[in-house]
Amino acid sequence: MSDKKILYQERLNRFITAMDVGKPDRVPIRLTLSEFLAKYAGYTLQEIYYQMDKNIECSNKFIQDFDVDTVPGPPSLWMGGIHDATGAKYLKFAGRELEKDKQFQFLESDYMKAEDYDDFIANPTKWILTTLLPRIHTEFKDPYRAHLSLIKGAAGMVMNQGMLAEAGKRWAEEYGIFPPFSGMSKAPFDTLGDVLRGLHGIMMDMHLCPDKLLAALDVLVDHNIYYGMATAAGDTTLPLFMPLHRGSYPFLNPEQWDKFYWPTLKKVIEGLWKHGKRTLFYAEGDWTPYLEKIAELPDKSIVFHVDMTDMKKAKEILGGRFCLSGNVPNTLLTYGTPEEVSDYCKKLIDEVACDGGFIMDAGGVVQWDAKVENVRAMIETTLEYGVY
Amino acid sequence: MANQIDGLKDALVGLDMYKVLDKVKAGLDAGVAPMDMVKDLQAGMVEIGDRFARGEYFLSELIMSGEIMKKAMALLEPKLAGVDQEYKGNIVIGTVQGDIHDLGKNIVAMLLKGAGYNVIDLGVDVPAEKFIDAVKENQAPLLAMSVLLTGCQDPMRDIIKAVRDAGLDVKVLIGGNYVDEKVKEYCGADYFGTTADDGVKVAKQVFGA
Ligand code: B12
Repeated sequence: MSDKKILYQERLNRFITAMDVGKPDRVPIRLTLSEFLAKYAGYTLQEIYYQMDKNIECSNKFIQDFDVDTVPGPPSLWMGGIHDATGAKYLKFAGRELEKDKQFQFLESDYMKAEDYDDFIANPTKWILTTLLPRIHTEFKDPYRAHLSLIKGAAGMVMNQGMLAEAGKRWAEEYGIFPPFSGMSKAPFDTLGDVLRGLHGIMMDMHLCPDKLLAALDVLVDHNIYYGMATAAGDTTLPLFMPLHRGSYPFLNPEQWDKFYWPTLKKVIEGLWKHGKRTLFYAEGDWTPYLEKIAELPDKSIVFHVDMTDMKKAKEILGGRFCLSGNVPNTLLTYGTPEEVSDYCKKLIDEVACDGGFIMDAGGVVQWDAKVENVRAMIETTLEYGVY
Repeated sequence: MANQIDGLKDALVGLDMYKVLDKVKAGLDAGVAPMDMVKDLQAGMVEIGDRFARGEYFLSELIMSGEIMKKAMALLEPKLAGVDQEYKGNIVIGTVQGDIHDLGKNIVAMLLKGAGYNVIDLGVDVPAEKFIDAVKENQAPLLAMSVLLTGCQDPMRDIIKAVRDAGLDVKVLIGGNYVDEKVKEYCGADYFGTTADDGVKVAKQVFGA
């Protein structure tokens, strides 16, 4: 076996052992770096949103310079060109509507109306194609342009996926390293609440048309399981990325959480687990009040990521049955010193990682504000102090 | 005459949209002064804010009450023309340039309005000039800024510097999920808040009411 293959296997074993709540040779590092990578590699945000080779190059640069266990990034989840091809009304990109080094913007709205529920529930795919897409894309004004835009958009998507697959191969062969997850999905409540109904819409629906909302959430369970497996291309080695939004405290009151948020999210996670697919439960914000419920999930079926959740309680309630990750505060990475960052990581290693089942990461997505020396301190501390 | 609107405040606090709207309509038909109804609704919003601060209400209740309030005000506003609303003072609010997270900012604005302030909401992705112009134009003693992205905290510092350089006599309040004492110091703000009711607390200090 080549050196890189050995390295790859070592890193993968370390990562998987931790996800299986075991004790690897040392604490693994997975960094959720986004725009930080663009700044570090010297690209503008316009470049990474529009030129996928540069987007991927950001990750290459970082793994050449730092010893981490999984590839961070690439920084942009988006491909501006696809959205331009269809004339997306809900996004603004650097270099088009925005200056060339500005973060993309999402315009939240109730793109789906309360009146749309019946059609959505009857056939969501049909409703999306015939009603939603024309509503939110300027290119759908006439069928001729609509067809062309879909072909252009799909071609762009395929090219991007192809480039990412190529990059994946290169990362494995040349650097002995793999991406931190494969595939992506959402909580059904977030599918509706983030994109379709918007926060105001879904909050009103819980009061005004709860039955329709529940029916729509149910319809999304199978869809979100399928979407996760399809975007992972069937892979079950790496976890699936699931950024969780509207279930954090204090969005919903406890009864609403139990009734609207949790049942269908639980079904999606269990459904994925039946396929052998683990979920990276990327719990954005504070999830402390819900830890007991989350503990109902099958052992090892998730990696619970801690942003602002109380880490001590998370360890108490979920530890031993689920791998935990994260919790290095983003403000510390920006305003702190390398010593402070190092101390924080040591504390996590002593108190949380001590008996295995832990992956080092920041609490939230790391943007351009984080200091390079602080990210370095995080990595070096884990490499040295995180050895079991 | 006032009995048409008895229970208006409670209906709002209980999030009963149909009851609130029925009462407002009945009140208007019976010739109740629209301003009296606005005052009752505002008292309801204050109560809702208090319940949120005590952990009895969640964002869902705040948002629902905001929507009910909007619908009620749509009925009342046409009748309010010519009536001088008495405000406790002017507050300019917005989400800083580069950031589009507005759910938190909207809730803060809503509670401030509910507490009787005149809130000038500049929306999201707001640059320094827009904040400065609005503070000048409204002679606002308080400028509130929301920031969720840590990457936009540095630009916020620049905005605050520009506000100070413009020589405006205004207190600056910042808020958001990753905002703390350290961020406040770094950005040169006067106050910081991490929950919606912090906005009302600071406003009370600044306006003494
Ligand atoms: C919903 C959400 C979104 C929605 C926003 C919709 C909208 N219309 O606002 C969408 C999906 C569009 C979105 C987009 C993005 N998001 Co976002 N988002 C969130 C999420 C899940 C919730 C934020 C929220 O609305 N909370 C509810 C409100 C009510 O709470 P709040 O905003 O904190 O406000 C309260 C207090 O902070 C305070 N407050 C707020 N403002 C003010 C102002 C004053 C004056 C006062 C006194 C108080 C105060 O009072 C409020 C009420 O109690 C958070 C994670 C989290 N749970 O916090 C991530 C989060 C903020 N997002 C994040 C990121 C990275 C992004 C993206 C860059 C994602 C990407 N890479 O694709 C984009 C950014 C786009 C842009 N240019 O801004 C990160 C930021 C990380 C960082 N380093 O800063 C977070 C923290 C997630 C994470 N853990 O990584 N997001």
